[in-house]
Amino acid sequence: MAKVELRGVNKQFGSVHVIKDINLTVEDHEFVVFVGPSGCGKSTLLRLIAGLEEITSGEIDIDGARVDHLAPARRGVAMVFQSYALYPHFTVAQNMGYALRVAKEDKAVIDRKVREAAEILQLTEYLDRKPKALSGGQRQRVAIGRAIVRDPKVFLFDEPLSNLDAKLRVQMRIELTRLHRELNATMIYVTHDQVEAMTMADKIVVLRDGRVEQIGAPLDLYNTPDNRFVAGFIGSPAMNFFAGRAESVSDAGVEVALEGGTRFTFPCETPGVKAGDVVEFGVRPEHFSIGGNGDGGSDGALKGEVYAVERLGGETYLYLNSGSYRDIVAHMSGDAPISIGDSVEIGFSLARSHLFGPDGQSIR
Amino acid sequence: MQSTDYESVRRARTRNLKLWLALLLTPAALLLIVFVFIPMGSAVLYSLYEWDGLARKGYVGLANFSDILFDPVRNKVLFHAFWNNVKVFVTLMIIQNGYALVLAMLLARNPRGYRFYQVVFFLPVILSTVIVSFQWKLFLNPVFGLVNKALIAVGLESWAVPWLGLPETALPAMMLVNAWHWFGFPTLVFLAAIHRIPTDFIEAARLDGASEWRIAREIIWPLMAPAVTIIVVLTFIGSFNWFEIPYVMNGLEGSPQGSTDMLGLLFYRTAFGSISAGGSDFGHGSALAVLMFIFIFVFSILATKYLTSREVEMN
Ligand SMILES: Nc1ncnc2c1ncn2[C@@H]1O[C@H](COP(=O)(O)OP(=O)(O)OP(=O)(O)O)[C@@H](O)[C@H]1O
Ligand SMILES: [Mg+2]
Repeated sequence: MAKVELRGVNKQFGSVHVIKDINLTVEDHEFVVFVGPSGCGKSTLLRLIAGLEEITSGEIDIDGARVDHLAPARRGVAMVFQSYALYPHFTVAQNMGYALRVAKEDKAVIDRKVREAAEILQLTEYLDRKPKALSGGQRQRVAIGRAIVRDPKVFLFDEPLSNLDAKLRVQMRIELTRLHRELNATMIYVTHDQVEAMTMADKIVVLRDGRVEQIGAPLDLYNTPDNRFVAGFIGSPAMNFFAGRAESVSDAGVEVALEGGTRFTFPCETPGVKAGDVVEFGVRPEHFSIGGNGDGGSDGALKGEVYAVERLGGETYLYLNSGSYRDIVAHMSGDAPISIGDSVEIGFSLARSHLFGPDGQSIR
Repeated sequence: MQSTDYESVRRARTRNLKLWLALLLTPAALLLIVFVFIPMGSAVLYSLYEWDGLARKGYVGLANFSDILFDPVRNKVLFHAFWNNVKVFVTLMIIQNGYALVLAMLLARNPRGYRFYQVVFFLPVILSTVIVSFQWKLFLNPVFGLVNKALIAVGLESWAVPWLGLPETALPAMMLVNAWHWFGFPTLVFLAAIHRIPTDFIEAARLDGASEWRIAREIIWPLMAPAVTIIVVLTFIGSFNWFEIPYVMNGLEGSPQGSTDMLGLLFYRTAFGSISAGGSDFGHGSALAVLMFIFIFVFSILATKYLTSREVEMN
């Protein structure tokens, strides 16, 4: 197991600059998740680490040794593909043991290691089957088994759960987390599903357009996003944003005026904005208090008209419009006697809200 | 509305669909009947009669077949020709398809100019076989042919032999011409098959530490099995029906000394007459054609069955 370090890594495909100056450290035993919207370069970054693509410039170290010039197989990494990439003409056991066979391991050793991995993944009874005769979840486990058998320094996963149905995904998520604990391995995991990122990661790397937007523990990203992009990307449903104006800046903070007359002073230390700037105020759906209820407190409120209500039993989502602020989402636990067309007051507490400057950076 | 109305509309739709299908299938069915089944039927019929030139004489049962297979003179010629066809099949499998496989593996790595090569390799395939044969006959001419001139020019005088005139070299020369003419076709089929293999498999194998050679042998080769089936069977059929190249290059008699004799040439000589075989003899000719058909048909089916059994679905 090992530490992975990326220093100034760039990747260009011809004239397309896909990965832009990435600096990143994955600690030993850490479970790191790369998230970001489609096309932001997550897979490419993973493939650069694996050696399936050549870096254009920069340096990649694994376990203290530079590896970016090495062939994929010599970097000590194992990768689990989104498509599983199980060799269709090999049995499960042959698939899992292929790397060892290539490495000319002893037959008995291969057999033992394959059986051990199969045991961990509950695949023992399928060892003689071909991949075609397995379910999606089983194939996924074989793909993971193939990685485990190699005993790599680093596991790489590229959206390994995206071909599974919702229920199986939850199950595999838990299983992967358990596996990470059991193997005590360094794992890098790519997903665009922020729930996966939040639930599995020790550390999340948010990527956007080939650059790192923020690196941090899941709850740090949730509670203190560095910028508007991370704020909007982490959390589901996404944070609501309200455009406003910085009326004045003082020691107490920034006085913000929202449309419709709502005013408040957002406390902060280093504002980085000046009076007259356009700012954005952000509140997560779960941090509104509705009709004066809830723990949201009320440092201010907006009045909105409900145009849709989603009742999930244990919780309710309200969709509102408030003047030019459209499609506001508010979350309530439990059921609520609110119907379409109702006008409700949604209150927010400044302690759980966010403010972003004209450059999109957080104001704290 | 009554439910019977829905019923009749549905029936009418099915009827229309069937009509359309019948209409679309009719031309193909007619072609098949007129140009395949009727000739096959008549060949079988002809083979059961004695013939004198174009005139059909008495019914002789299977006598023509037993003549061809067991008459000492005919039998010798038949098996000599058959053996040559076997040589052609085996050799083409190695030089033509083997070469095509190597080329396809190389082209699959998208080398610079890959599109260009793909087109160039395929060009000979679209030329007419008769023209290709004639052209190469000229190239191989012992005195003014391009090949020997080139050999002499590079100092290989001793290699400048009459290629088509020697029993040892005539058939190999023709097989090389065939390989030159056709290699683009298996190349293209193999290449398409390799392109169909998801790159993930190959990348996974690379991560597993497999060498390029090992990937070619253990991953790519088994997964391109369907293409191999097609090419083996087509080469088999082509080799046992081989006719144009030996005919145009060295004539009907399979000269020199029968070294290029083939079942196809033998059939032609028997059915339509030649210097060695005498007058035209539809009876024995048809019997030979029927035997060839049965042999090729049965073996193609067996080969397809066997080769298909080792194919794997990719997902
Ligand atoms: N071989 C390539 N040649 C050119 N451009 C490429 C190549 N591979 C990827 N790209 C580009 O690089 C960018 C990042 O691609 P990448 O596959 O890493 O995205 P991703 O974050 O994994 O997206 P997704 O969530 O959809 O899988 C995309 O704009 C893509 O078009
Ligand atoms: Mg991707």
